[in-house]
Amino acid sequence: MHDGSSSRSVDGSGPVKERITTYGLVGKFALSLFAVVVIQGILAYRIRVFGYFDLPLILSIYYGFTLGRPVPSVIIGTSIGLLQDSLSGVPMGTNGFSKTLIGYLAATAGSKFDVDLPVTRAIAIFLFTVGDGFIISTLGLMTGSATNSVYNLFSNWLVTGVFNALLGMLMFGYHDRVTHAAS
Amino acid sequence: MRTVIDSKKPAWITLAVALVFNTLLLSAQSSKHFDTSFVRVWLLASLGPFEKLVDAGVEGVENIWSGYIDLIHIRRDNEKLLTENGRLRMEVSQNSEDALELARLRQLMELRATPIGKTVVARVIGKDPSQGGQNMTIDKGTKSGIGRDTTIITSDGVVGRVIFTSDYFSVVQLIIDSQSAVGFIVRSSRRLGILKGTGRAELEMEYIDDDNDIKQGDELITSGQDQIYPKGIPLGVVLSVGPRQGNFKVVRIRPNVNFGRLEEVLCMTDHLPEVSTGQAP
Repeated sequence: MHDGSSSRSVDGSGPVKERITTYGLVGKFALSLFAVVVIQGILAYRIRVFGYFDLPLILSIYYGFTLGRPVPSVIIGTSIGLLQDSLSGVPMGTNGFSKTLIGYLAATAGSKFDVDLPVTRAIAIFLFTVGDGFIISTLGLMTGSATNSVYNLFSNWLVTGVFNALLGMLMFGYHDRVTHAAS
Repeated sequence: MRTVIDSKKPAWITLAVALVFNTLLLSAQSSKHFDTSFVRVWLLASLGPFEKLVDAGVEGVENIWSGYIDLIHIRRDNEKLLTENGRLRMEVSQNSEDALELARLRQLMELRATPIGKTVVARVIGKDPSQGGQNMTIDKGTKSGIGRDTTIITSDGVVGRVIFTSDYFSVVQLIIDSQSAVGFIVRSSRRLGILKGTGRAELEMEYIDDDNDIKQGDELITSGQDQIYPKGIPLGVVLSVGPRQGNFKVVRIRPNVNFGRLEEVLCMTDHLPEVSTGQAP
């Protein structure tokens, strides 16, 4: 997460500064996870169209692609999934399980394939959304918490997949602009 | 923290640990051998204040817009409301006479009134962040007397029931959620049955065969037989009685409550679900 060698100094303040930086980064990640789950809940309640988006899923994919490292992506995926579960009616661990897998797969794809093209990203987000829906529905059937018809589920996945792909492209486009501006 | 994240060990070990953790959490809830509700309570208690804060910000912006900027039709609306107020005053006066008469008749017939009991007003601060879920978060919890299965209503009818609660926040399962079921009585014919959520804006009746007298426009109220929702609260209106699918007919219901416009709700913190005997509520 951070190259500690650059912050080490002769007076011994290096490791402390390094630790503060690491905690700061972890804090930022934690805050962004909390924020995205809360924002998803409030926007879906205030603006009906936001019910079709899945911001926590987009964030899991976003971190997977941009970090390109499976370990933090798995931790982020699990955390965001459990936060999402806590405000939902589904059993705890349903979204946690799904987002863990999605985070890992996104990070693996991000490190092995070229996911810089907008079309590739849009297709990947769409497929991950369908995959997420499939995993959640399967777990729901196994735990007895899913009662929606197959038609409803499938149409939900497709609509959410399209919405997520569009929003994901905007988010990644913004990320690219910021990254290029900084470099 | 850094050693875990930057570990050179294969990432699949972390993946396996995370998946096993989630699987254990899921199976612990399914088997009910180990109580995992503290995890949800802790997360709900942590997320609730954030949700309330953001909701207050959004509400503030909306209030500035509706209270100071969007006042174009206020004069016309005011005149209309004054006229309506006069008409409603007359109706209230008439209704209080009816209520007194009803109380006398109840006394004569030795029937108990529907026990509404003590209520607490709560504010809706968010919706289910998962896809397809029909739950919402309210800003009252155990400290306000709310517990699991507390019935949530508005003046229009039943909203749902509390499924998880922390000290200051609760998650409510709406009656339209696909996991929800409510016992009902048809107000006119006194037929009993079960309403099921569909995950959409409608409800469906379960186990309705050809031999039924349910028709479009019939009003439904809670039966109290599910031991969760008290008897006599309005539920909805029959939208259509469809053709037979398999063994039963598809009967669609439009709920009385507009779930897209919920802001404040009433939590029934003190009521005894009255089991119906088929008598009038």
